[in-house]
Amino acid sequence: MKFMVIVKEGKGCDGGKLPRQEFLAAMGKYNEELTKAGVFLALEGLTPASAGTRVKFADKKPIVTDGPFAESKELVGGFWLWKCQSKQEAIEWLKRAPFEETEVEIREVLEPEDFADVFARAYREEPVNA
Amino acid sequence: MRFMVIVKATKDSEAGKMPSRELIEKMHKYNEELVKAGVRLEADGLQPSSKGARVKIEGKKRTVIDGPFTETKELVAGFWIWKCKSLQEAIEWAKHCPNPHNDGGELEIRQIFEAEDFVK
Repeated sequence: MKFMVIVKEGKGCDGGKLPRQEFLAAMGKYNEELTKAGVFLALEGLTPASAGTRVKFADKKPIVTDGPFAESKELVGGFWLWKCQSKQEAIEWLKRAPFEETEVEIREVLEPEDFADVFARAYREEPVNA
Repeated sequence: MRFMVIVKATKDSEAGKMPSRELIEKMHKYNEELVKAGVRLEADGLQPSSKGARVKIEGKKRTVIDGPFTETKELVAGFWIWKCKSLQEAIEWAKHCPNPHNDGGELEIRQIFEAEDFVK
């Protein structure tokens, strides 16, 4: 199973409690462990949401809004992709992450076979020109 | 430049409601265009947050909270990783995206840090 592990923006990964260098070293070590265990698939960090843009499809014409997005409490700051046997395994790995104060979200990634099911259902339930 | 294009969740995506055949076909065509243009690097869709969990970290304390999570519009339903020359190019591509959900979809475009950003 594949999981997306979402780290929120602005919640201060290290909570300012660890020296930055120390936090980075601990995170480097943690990523090495994830890699050795075959859990680590990918890791990306995002530039601040204030420099981002949203495109909303409310009506026919898309509405483009530039950041910052003041109303948002749940902005993505970065993410890992992990390969685990179960959600529980992902939770156990996450518990060991060297964060000081934050909330991290684990989400199961759809696999090709899940899509096969979507296709099968869509094609069964909605015949052409129906 | 690489961008993460986040597809925000909706009531439908959180309910695990499957997209229509029409939308699947439109999205397939759109993805093909992205690939042909060399824009699409990665794409993944997520299961509803009801299948997810959050781990709250406070010092040495770890608290596990099982989904679903209530702030639907802030949740991630899926994402692409795109390679574009500029944010403007990414916006133009996003505007051409078929509405990812029937009940009002939203995309968020965010630039990804590259290795060279850390060297600076």
